[in-house]
Amino acid sequence: MHQSTNRLLREMIAICLMAAAIGIAWNHRLLLNAWTGNVPASSPAPASLPPSQSEKGQQAVPLPLGLMQVKEFHDRKEAVMVDARDGAAFTAGHITGAVSLPLGEADGRLAEFARRYPPTTLLVVYCNGYDCHDSHDLAGKLITAGFTTVFVFEGGFPEWEAAGYPVTGGTP
Amino acid sequence: MINNAGRYLSTIIRVVLGLVFIYAGALKIVAPVAFAGNVAAYRLLPYFGNYLVAATLPWVETLCGLMLIIGWRARSAAAIISLLNVVFMLALASTIIRGLDIDCGCFQQGATKTSAWAAMGRDAVLLALSLSLLRRDRRTVERTAG
Repeated sequence: MHQSTNRLLREMIAICLMAAAIGIAWNHRLLLNAWTGNVPASSPAPASLPPSQSEKGQQAVPLPLGLMQVKEFHDRKEAVMVDARDGAAFTAGHITGAVSLPLGEADGRLAEFARRYPPTTLLVVYCNGYDCHDSHDLAGKLITAGFTTVFVFEGGFPEWEAAGYPVTGGTP
Repeated sequence: MINNAGRYLSTIIRVVLGLVFIYAGALKIVAPVAFAGNVAAYRLLPYFGNYLVAATLPWVETLCGLMLIIGWRARSAAAIISLLNVVFMLALASTIIRGLDIDCGCFQQGATKTSAWAAMGRDAVLLALSLSLLRRDRRTVERTAG
């Protein structure tokens, strides 16, 4: 009995290690990006953040940020929050300090946006939560436009508002 | 006769559970960034931890699913799946306690949101199935040994 339990445990550990090794090898580039993107609370400046593009200049996917990280960036004023929703939704309520860049108008307004913000600006793009993909699409456009530090806040405005964090507009 | 029925039932459970976990794992393997976002939404792990889980967990699910289907080291695979389901249920319970309204990220990433209660119910069923495999397998081993 004791022997069979020991064997079971050994096998479980071996299987998990094997699967983890495959997963790490398969996702090594993503993990490398995430590792260099580890921003401790004492991080000195957004310039130390990881580029969303690899060193070879090959476009990478925008990395998602959780609510807590977004709040940290917001409070330290290290990031420009970019609202990918349409103008009406922005007017009705948005993260305090966010700028509006609706996905539908992005192609026409990206040049102006790029003149206003340097390419190393830390951008956090959000829209209407996990079911909304506009933030991912807009983040992709921003990366293509040359911005090097683009994150997506997938919880978006609903998660931010539900957490009771500062919003502008909408019902008081 | 009853023994045969039990064996067939065990095989069916093994294959169904295996297919469920291969499906769940494969959907996450093709969307690791989205899955990392879903893991991050639980707010349980540090930044890099979300990516490490997103990179490795789907492969554990897929490998265990495959092992269940082919029947090789199926007991170990069932034990891992049981353990995973317990961890999933604890994580989901923590979201309910903390009042987080997030997608469980169990299968298709970015799909329609599954509530924590529904996901916990599904995990409870999967846990019962994997435990039944473990229990049955031990009985078989003990009978053979005794």
